[in-house]
Amino acid sequence: MRERLSFHIKRDSALHRLNPLTKLLLVLALILSAFLTPFYWTPHILAILVIPILSVIGRVGREYLSTAFRLILPAATFLFLMQAFFHPIGKEIIFAFYFLDMTLESLMFAFGNAMRIVVMVSAFTIFLLTTHPSELMSDLSRRGLPGQFAYVIISTLQILPQVQAKAQTIISAQRSRGLETEGGFFKRAGALIPLIGPLVFGSLVEVEERAIAIEARGFTSKHVKTSLHEIPDTPTDIFLRWFLTTLIAASIGLKLWLS
Amino acid sequence: MKISINDLRFTYPAGVEALRGISLEINPGEQVAIVGQNGAGKTTLVRHFNGLLRPSSGSVWVGDWDTSKYSVAKLASRVGYVFQNPDEQLFSRDVLTEVAFGPKNLGYKKNKVDELVGCALALTELNDKTETNPYDLSPTWRKMVALASIIAMDTPIVIFDEPTTGQDAVNIARIANVIAEIKKEGKTVITITHDIDFCAENFERVIALSNGEVLLDGEAHDVLGREEILAKTYVDPPQLTRLGKALGLKETVINQEEFLNALK
Ligand SMILES: Nc1ncnc2c1ncn2[C@@H]1O[C@H](COP(=O)(O)OP(=O)(O)OP(=O)(O)O)[C@@H](O)[C@H]1O
Ligand SMILES: [Mg+2]
Repeated sequence: MRERLSFHIKRDSALHRLNPLTKLLLVLALILSAFLTPFYWTPHILAILVIPILSVIGRVGREYLSTAFRLILPAATFLFLMQAFFHPIGKEIIFAFYFLDMTLESLMFAFGNAMRIVVMVSAFTIFLLTTHPSELMSDLSRRGLPGQFAYVIISTLQILPQVQAKAQTIISAQRSRGLETEGGFFKRAGALIPLIGPLVFGSLVEVEERAIAIEARGFTSKHVKTSLHEIPDTPTDIFLRWFLTTLIAASIGLKLWLS
Repeated sequence: MKISINDLRFTYPAGVEALRGISLEINPGEQVAIVGQNGAGKTTLVRHFNGLLRPSSGSVWVGDWDTSKYSVAKLASRVGYVFQNPDEQLFSRDVLTEVAFGPKNLGYKKNKVDELVGCALALTELNDKTETNPYDLSPTWRKMVALASIIAMDTPIVIFDEPTTGQDAVNIARIANVIAEIKKEGKTVITITHDIDFCAENFERVIALSNGEVLLDGEAHDVLGREEILAKTYVDPPQLTRLGKALGLKETVINQEEFLNALK
């Protein structure tokens, strides 16, 4: 089931159980190795093999596929076409269409880049699907991230779903009083105009209330805080983090050494 | 206008089965109170009457309309619904605009709208607050604005979702008065409430819900006397009923008048 306030999908899987920091490092390792690798095939293997396997391990295969088809693939295809036709490398034209030429080199270059983007966005998608934002933030603040910073990130992540939920209640109230909102686009857009006031006003009131609420619970207190939620950090996590850090270091090292 | 509910079931998208097969008939002009523990499904049930929710299975008829075939806006001409939380219901700049919003949408003529709005404002004693922004009013008055904005629609069926929660005695009396007035006009009034004394004093029929099913349904008198069954949905009979029982009165009494009569 999809929770309303985030992308997170509540399930039990090896990936869900990993510590958020480990997962963040995994995302970083995937992205860096895709971008820095000297081997042409690395991003392809990551995109076609590693990412799907990860989504299956995280038991979010279906959700990942739906994001991939609706968002990631169209964007990557667009990028691929742009670069394949317009990147000026290589001489031997293998495909021409009016003034557009494609060379083998530009094709390879564009394909590689598109795959890198796929890896990057996919890695983040899987991360968001398997990590609850508040879990991520509790873990990072426990490791020393300032509370204010965590607060800003969390509230930003939640603005959209909150405004959506609020708009929904106001629309229900208006429909209950005879406002036809099931009609065409203009009718619906028109119905939204009177919403803007209450929406903004309501949000401002909420911000103030929330500030009072968190301050009442000692938000700016200087003492070390304990957390209600134990976020697991197992030896597996520690081992994985070492492994991923090594991988990241190796990617960077190899890149520096070869250039 | 009659409401017929046939084996109504409803499951929220999140998977909560909130109504598990409810069948009821509510006749024109009836005064019905719905009681039951938190989460019993009271709000979920009445949201089906004006189409805000659609049955997962079964059906709800309002007069000759099957609610699943009519838009919420259409149903609004037959069913007025006062939300549980006025903050979720009010959205206008001032009380007058708020109260006129419904009748305008329903397409009444200009002078009819003015008349309806005037009556609703008078009934809820809001006459001196028409220019105020609803958000500048106290919660008790916000509740009255919510009431007025529905009453002004002049629908044959009016639903109140917990009208007395968090209200002081004066305002509860005001709300009881509003209900009595619309009852005089022959309208159906359906009220959800946790205030069992309010229920005993103002309603003829009581429906007790528990876990999405009808536990008891009948005359206030009969229902409110069934202490053991009501306990299943965490409802206590009115104090006077319990006192009457403790005193060994022959009949069940539910309000002051009956209590005094029984003592005579
Ligand atoms: N939007 C929703 N999404 C999912 N579940 C919901 C939603 N609204 C209510 N529920 C659930 O449905 C059940 C019935 O809720 P409902 O609001 O109808 O109860 P109620 O009898 O009105 O309670 P209360 O006296 O607290 O107002 C509860 O278990 C509740 O948690
Ligand atoms: Mg309710």
